[in-house]
Amino acid sequence: MAISVVMPALEMAQETGKLISWLKKEGDAVAKGEPLLEIETDKAVMEIESPGDGVLAGIKAEAGTEVPVGRTIAWIVNPGETPPADDIAAASGRKTTIAASSAAISAVETISASSPIQPIKISPKARRLASERGVNLADVRGSGAGGEILASDIFAAAEAKAGASRGNELAREAGERSSVARLMAERTTQSWTTIPHFFVTREADAGALNRARQRFRNEIEESHAAKLTLSDLLIALVARILRKHPRFNASWTSEGIRANDDINIGLAIAVDDGVVAPVIHHADKTELAEIAAQRRDLIERARAGKLRPTDLAGGTFTISNLGMFGVDAFTAIIIPPQAAILAVGAIIDRVVPVNGHPAVRPMMTLTLSVDHRVVDGARAAEFLRDLVEAIGNPQAYLDARAGDFRA
Amino acid sequence: MPENHLPAQNARELTFAQAIREALAEEMRRDSTVCILGEDVAEAGTPFKVLSGLLEEFGRDRVFDTPISEAGFTGLAVGAAMAGMRPVVDIMFGDFVTLTMDQMVNQAAKIYYMSGGAWKVPMVMRTTMGATRRSAAQHSQSLHAWFCHIPGLKVVLPSTPYDAKGLLKAAIRDENPVVFFEDKMMYKLKGLVPADDYTVPLGVADVKREGDDITLIATSSMVQVALGAAVLLEEVGISAEVVDPRTMWPLDEKTLIESVKKTSRAIVLDEGYERYGVTAELAAVIATGAFYDLDAPVKRMGAMHVPIPFSPPLEDATVPTEQTVFEAARALCGR
Repeated sequence: MAISVVMPALEMAQETGKLISWLKKEGDAVAKGEPLLEIETDKAVMEIESPGDGVLAGIKAEAGTEVPVGRTIAWIVNPGETPPADDIAAASGRKTTIAASSAAISAVETISASSPIQPIKISPKARRLASERGVNLADVRGSGAGGEILASDIFAAAEAKAGASRGNELAREAGERSSVARLMAERTTQSWTTIPHFFVTREADAGALNRARQRFRNEIEESHAAKLTLSDLLIALVARILRKHPRFNASWTSEGIRANDDINIGLAIAVDDGVVAPVIHHADKTELAEIAAQRRDLIERARAGKLRPTDLAGGTFTISNLGMFGVDAFTAIIIPPQAAILAVGAIIDRVVPVNGHPAVRPMMTLTLSVDHRVVDGARAAEFLRDLVEAIGNPQAYLDARAGDFRA
Repeated sequence: MPENHLPAQNARELTFAQAIREALAEEMRRDSTVCILGEDVAEAGTPFKVLSGLLEEFGRDRVFDTPISEAGFTGLAVGAAMAGMRPVVDIMFGDFVTLTMDQMVNQAAKIYYMSGGAWKVPMVMRTTMGATRRSAAQHSQSLHAWFCHIPGLKVVLPSTPYDAKGLLKAAIRDENPVVFFEDKMMYKLKGLVPADDYTVPLGVADVKREGDDITLIATSSMVQVALGAAVLLEEVGISAEVVDPRTMWPLDEKTLIESVKKTSRAIVLDEGYERYGVTAELAAVIATGAFYDLDAPVKRMGAMHVPIPFSPPLEDATVPTEQTVFEAARALCGR
């Protein structure tokens, strides 16, 4: 009996999926669970597995096309069998395919459920004009009595945009941007316009951190084939400190503050068309070497555009490190529904007072961006104090876990 | 009334009532099957003196008084129309149309359809509407929405003497039952009316005033209110367009939608009860046809959902006025 292959819904609100490529050709024999095709959602490129054993037949969607969720795009048939002409089996087929990726779905649902979309008040005319003229509604302040965006606001925004020739270029770029870039634009706008950010900065002496890195990099490179980075050490330290500071691992929801059970650390990674923040789950319970290995894998796949929805789901705190670019300090935008993000600057030798005398020390600047609905300034100061202390004495935190590393 | 709606020649200033009378007289001269029946239509010429002089010219056979029996003489008219006459029934106060409902809704509106076109009912029911005459709750209502709801009936609401004459002549010549509502507060309204034989086709709206910022869609006497509000709005820099659909059915949706597409804002004004009234239908037409050009919600203004009070200050508060329309329009335009 023929089994349908349908475009799966990987996210609650997903309406279409983009078919990136077929990994098998028409007429190829396939086994259940074998990768069949690649699709792109808002968040990731994902391989879809064959829902059954047989021969791939009746391919109905070409690579590069957007396909409505639930539509049959091919059939798995017995050798010699012709695929059904109609879409009759689509409903049952859909279940089959989705079951294969149920883990991804549940992880992603967690994210969408806890990041409410802010409705924009806008007149129908203004909405139409905005779409015709390529005006981003997030950039428009409504002038209506209740803050609604009116047609006149769109005209003004379109005019301002046309004023700068660079603006036109950007608009053209935006039109061609990938889902990563689009998601980045949406998420940062949502975050910046809805989360009351505040920022707390501290310098930390990174001497001990550098030493820890020197000490364990060879061992970890041998055991896990991963090069230990400062980011790995920071992920491990932050995750362990978060146990003591559950507020920084919480989320703001419509019902108030929600504590998250797991400590999952996201790491911001620059890719060609924006930034992604794949997650190291249970980072507080993960050995340093394992963190390094996972981090390396995530970066490789992020740069190849091969992250899975599960890689991106469930983050509770994010670290963004621009130290390798020589940045002294910066502020980062919180990734909803997380409550904070840590911006890490470069380790640079500076003259600082040590015991009353000037000394040259490797210093780094840490800037914490915090959602004020969840955490206040005093708690942020305490968190940074503990983090600076941990950076000054990483063994004390990492030794506590057997196998983290041996002194 | 703007000059451009008129043939320049032969126009005289007539009242709304005189325009109605002239339309009836011209049609009765033109077609011997046209006759008038109702309460106090003959010697009295109706309490509003709309029909004065017709008895004298056309005699008792064509202008005849009936007993107080709306259901009966409306049924008589339906039968006469089926038999080849073109009766014009006069229902003195629009509130009394309730008594004619079976004849109009189940007979007049259905016969052409149910007879497969074998019989037609070319009758006109003339009646009144409108509050602020201090006539209390049973003599002040505007019940045209009741007929608008019924397939098979045409409903006309003239707002000027010119339209009243042209629309009534078109209604009399129409092969279908037509209900013709005259606002009793407009009978003395003056305007230029050609002495020529002209008709205003049913189903063609009229832009009474052109504007850019907001469309006031108004019926019957509310057209005059809208024109007054437009003058007030002009003083604060808001350019209001006033559109009169003139007939509720057939309805010139295109003109309404095009006007709102131009202005992006609309208020629908009608003297019937606002709830479930014709304003709802007109607003829905606009919301559907001009949705992507709307910059504000469509606002409806009609009579309050209460029996029309006898107390003059209370009665005046139940219906839209130039001032309330002015304020609503300003709010919609954000000024």
